[in-house]
Amino acid sequence: MRGLVFLSPWLIGFFAFTLVPIALSLYYSFCDYSLLQPPLFKGLNNYRLLAQDPVFWKVVLNTAIYALMALPLGMIVALGVAMLLNLKIRGLSIYRTIIFLPSLVPAVASAMLWLWLFNTKLGLINTALRGVGVANPPGWLTDVHWAMPALVLMSVWGIGNTVIIYLAGLQDVPRELYEAANIDGATTLRKIWHVTLPLISPVIFFNLIMGIIGTLQVFAVPYIMTSGGPARSTYFYTMYLYDNAFNYLKMGYASAMAWIQLLIVLALTALAAWSGKRWVHYQGN
Amino acid sequence: MSSFGTGILSGTKHLVVAALVASGLGLLVFGPRAGDKLPKNCVIVDYWEKWTGDEETGMRQIVDDFNSTVGNEKHIYVRYLSTSAIEQKTLVSIAAGVPPDVAGLYNQNIPQFSALDSLEPLDDLAAEHGITAKTYKKVFWDECHYDSHLYGLVSTAFDLALYYNKEIFRRCAPELESRGLDPQHAPRTIAELDAYAKALDRIDPSGQIVLAGYLPTEPGWFINYTCIWFGGSWWNGARQKFTFTDPGVVRAYQWIQSYSRRLGPKAVAEFQSGFGTIDSPQNPFLAPTVAMVQQGTFFAHLINHLKPSMDGQWGAAPFPSYDPKLRDVTYCNCDVLVIPRGAKHKSEAFEFIAFVNRQDEMEKLANYHCKISPLAKVSEGFLAHHNNPYIRVFDNLAASPNAHPTELVPILPEVNDELINFIQRLQLQQVTPEEGLRQVQTRLQQKYDQFMEDQRERRR
Repeated sequence: MRGLVFLSPWLIGFFAFTLVPIALSLYYSFCDYSLLQPPLFKGLNNYRLLAQDPVFWKVVLNTAIYALMALPLGMIVALGVAMLLNLKIRGLSIYRTIIFLPSLVPAVASAMLWLWLFNTKLGLINTALRGVGVANPPGWLTDVHWAMPALVLMSVWGIGNTVIIYLAGLQDVPRELYEAANIDGATTLRKIWHVTLPLISPVIFFNLIMGIIGTLQVFAVPYIMTSGGPARSTYFYTMYLYDNAFNYLKMGYASAMAWIQLLIVLALTALAAWSGKRWVHYQGN
Repeated sequence: MSSFGTGILSGTKHLVVAALVASGLGLLVFGPRAGDKLPKNCVIVDYWEKWTGDEETGMRQIVDDFNSTVGNEKHIYVRYLSTSAIEQKTLVSIAAGVPPDVAGLYNQNIPQFSALDSLEPLDDLAAEHGITAKTYKKVFWDECHYDSHLYGLVSTAFDLALYYNKEIFRRCAPELESRGLDPQHAPRTIAELDAYAKALDRIDPSGQIVLAGYLPTEPGWFINYTCIWFGGSWWNGARQKFTFTDPGVVRAYQWIQSYSRRLGPKAVAEFQSGFGTIDSPQNPFLAPTVAMVQQGTFFAHLINHLKPSMDGQWGAAPFPSYDPKLRDVTYCNCDVLVIPRGAKHKSEAFEFIAFVNRQDEMEKLANYHCKISPLAKVSEGFLAHHNNPYIRVFDNLAASPNAHPTELVPILPEVNDELINFIQRLQLQQVTPEEGLRQVQTRLQQKYDQFMEDQRERRR
């Protein structure tokens, strides 16, 4: 009893701000609900309408493409940068700070900054490209073929958090293993493949899960930079969810989208966990 | 650690604590205080509004006028609060049962909010105050209604005309005259507008646009209503049907697409990416990189404020129509004052709303905002001393039988987003107007029918 009383502040908060809203959102996903009128139970109507909604499938596709591009690129670049930051060189703390700083910039501020960098006419990127002889640089955020790659490139700028986690994992790899590999005549690539990657596989696994969740929920940056354009080429799942909830006042429809998103993330996480049995090696196992 | 080191640490700790305490005390004594000192024995009417800067100053003046006159007599005090995201905040406050007494929304919120039973109908209150259809220009009275009920009254209003750069016209007079166009006047039909635009366009050898005569997407804020200048309409309220495949509507979007086809989608996108915002000197009309724009009455204030050297170098005329017989067409828009459902002081709130709609106060506010008066009666003094030298053009347009209000569709945010996407696809030449409009028609009609069916089910 005393334990429950001690836990009660957290329990009350958990029920009031987590469990009850989650349960209500599940109920609302089966209702027509605008926030301004009481919910009207409609069964599976919202889910049926979603299945027939071409914009829903468009945002699912866009989000999947973004995740398929941003996640591997982010993880590979972050791992590469972490490996470089793991070397014993002068000024290491400065380099680590520089790499980490962009992840401290608020999303809105970085979106405004990159809006200007990607500006077709006046942006630094296109000015630099013209300077090296590219006569017709991409339209970036105004071009349906380049808007998505632009957002993916921008996502790489904020890899600081991922790098720090990889760095912690790399520093945990016992030196003796590298020494043993050296003695056996292993090249750098072989050392990475046979020593580094297996030993940091739990860290890779963690970053993979966090990356899946993060990329599938991308919202703030594209909402500010492109508002989903041009022609819905950068219209992502969470943006459509937000528009349904707060612009169109279709909370029930948005709740249904939220639950579908949860199921997708859970499914992908479960898939990653299942595949992890083959390639994730925990020390001590 | 040595005793010396311990001493330093202890001293530093004391210094930090002392600094924090001093800052706290300083804030308590000299820090910011709560805003209004509320008068006693008064009903406090909370008024949330979206405006900041000069517009807020103007409205605060009206609030002060009310508080010192009618408010003083009737023991009503209006407390003004400027807030961002006014629609979302009003929505959440209504849902939570703690709305303000008056909210300053946009006219397009009226159908959406009132269809969801979140606004108080004002018919009885308006009748008590002698406010009727005759008080307003018809278009603005219509803007404030949904489903035959009055749900708001206007705070500020504007309509659209064609702003044109007389200096560019003069400079390009030979090109204009060689094409039979008059450099002293604005175009009077859509065909003339296209001819003027082509004559004024300047493209450099690399294919980049240096100056555009006209671009339908600049600024493009009102592009969804372009069809009214082509004699079309995309909404039939009587039949509750979208009419995107109306010939006038199709013609309008064919016209919009023709500009990007002629100039090149990439060239237009690159050209527009160099534009500044409306309230910066890099605004394309002020820069000037666009010779003609479709804009509202308030745009004159920005010209006067940001580029006073343009004084006398610009003009405003009715935006031309496709059919020369279709004259004085304009789209009208307004900000509205509404009483949210659940407001505690409805009759006091309406006292304030009625005060804002008095001729003297309305004209005062319209002057602050550089907008037109939505009222049927307009004083000569207002027109003579307005900051927009072409105010009579705008006023006449708003009083014209071809003044068009915002369509009263409760799913207007979805309509707007669909049309934005459609126009972007048009600009990129991804779809023909006919096919795109058919898709928009099907999708939006389905959404509207679903919405209305849900509302009917609620009322059973």
